[in-house]
Amino acid sequence: MKQLVKIRTFILGLLLSIAVVSTAQTEKVAAAYAFLKQNNLDSAKAYIDAAIVNPQTANDAEAWYYRGFIYKSIYNTNEKGKMHSAARLESLNSFKKSLSLDNANEYFTDNIGGLKYLANTFHNDAAESLDIFDYKTAIELFSKSQECFKIIDPSPEANQEKEIEFNLALGSVYYSIIESSKKDSAKTYKFLNLAKTIYSKVLSLDPNNISANYQMGILYYNQAVNLVLAQDIDADLVEFTRVIDNSTKLFKESLPFMEKAYSLAPTRIETLQGLTGIYWSLNEPEKSNIYKQKLAEIRGFKVGDKVQWKESSIIKTGIITGLVDANECMVKEDGKEKSKSLNLSILTKVNE
Amino acid sequence: MVVMPDQSEEATARIKAIYIYNFTKYIEWPESYKEGNFVIGFLGSNSALLSKLSEIATKKVGSQNIEIRNITNVQNADKFNIIYILSDNSAQLSEVLSKVKGKSTLIVTDKPGLAKQGAGINFVVVENKQKIELNKVNIEKYKLKVASTLVDMALPVN
Repeated sequence: MKQLVKIRTFILGLLLSIAVVSTAQTEKVAAAYAFLKQNNLDSAKAYIDAAIVNPQTANDAEAWYYRGFIYKSIYNTNEKGKMHSAARLESLNSFKKSLSLDNANEYFTDNIGGLKYLANTFHNDAAESLDIFDYKTAIELFSKSQECFKIIDPSPEANQEKEIEFNLALGSVYYSIIESSKKDSAKTYKFLNLAKTIYSKVLSLDPNNISANYQMGILYYNQAVNLVLAQDIDADLVEFTRVIDNSTKLFKESLPFMEKAYSLAPTRIETLQGLTGIYWSLNEPEKSNIYKQKLAEIRGFKVGDKVQWKESSIIKTGIITGLVDANECMVKEDGKEKSKSLNLSILTKVNE
Repeated sequence: MVVMPDQSEEATARIKAIYIYNFTKYIEWPESYKEGNFVIGFLGSNSALLSKLSEIATKKVGSQNIEIRNITNVQNADKFNIIYILSDNSAQLSEVLSKVKGKSTLIVTDKPGLAKQGAGINFVVVENKQKIELNKVNIEKYKLKVASTLVDMALPVN
């Protein structure tokens, strides 16, 4: 009998201690919340960190949600503007963990609300860091924003626009790096390939994207032109014929992208300039002239037009006799021909 | 927005300038043409090409300085090592040929068919690429020697 009483007492004690421990752990979550309410973030953090490592609350959706919220508040209060904020990452991981544990979807709306906030901060910071110095940070931040947005709305269409917009901007940054590192051929080559990859990615999402088609065309075009212009005037002829072969190949690769951009926006000046240049470089002057003519027409000029311009405060008039290139025409004035810019601020058409 | 710099004309002009400078390496002129400046004349107007040809003027052919001259009147074209007739001025080929008769001038043209009409070297486009065709008979008739490397890489003229 004594033995039975002992056992009963032991079991009761065990149950009681379990209940006390369990209550203590739940209380840690409650305490963390209470400290959060008081804006005592250090204490809130200490309690919630203790709660999530304890087996009793380690898999508690509520604890993880509070942790996400507390770290979000820490980020907001102490680390806002820090691109590599550790608190923001902790917050993101906590909201994600809470969602994964929340089988009853009790905290779903709250977690999604937290993620929305974080997604926007990641996205804004990515945009802010996107330049030739910090583009790697921008890529990391954008990836984090995408991670959040994809949880909020997993449908592929939901995030496509943001992805296209960011990649187009990233491509422009790569292009700026290429332009500023022309003397470093390895660097130029690396960023050319990165830019091509980025624009290909955009085109895989949206094959009719005008900018991506145009930029892709320009990348190949510039690569071809620069290949030729980098050659010394006394370049070995046998080697130089290989350069011509390569540059022609690149011009041909440029063409379908530029033609696609043209088909999507036939009056876009940059694209017409691009086609003028590509066909000229492919030794097809007749086709180049067709686009040169279209360009002049879009600008409101054609051969035979009477035009006027100002020279030393004197208004002069003449007739357009030819179109030199995308930006220049020949004008006959008093029997003499001279070149003039097709810029509308310099040349204006005279209506007769 | 990335804007394309309009460099296509500059690039095509550079291709021709490199070819022309290379002609001086693969063709040998008689001794009498190795004195004074090495004169390259061009007939026609193309500002991009003129700019690129001017770069050649910083080089030498043997001990000769290179001089680039714009030919405004064929009748004044006397002692030229090379005369390059631009495509728009192709009609003046026969006039140039009669002017350089008995001299040692390499005639370079830029229009299909002209290698058969007297030019030594003619620029042609094959599969969108700038190539040259070479008429060895027309070159040697002016007492010029042409290296086999140049002959081999040029398109033959039948």
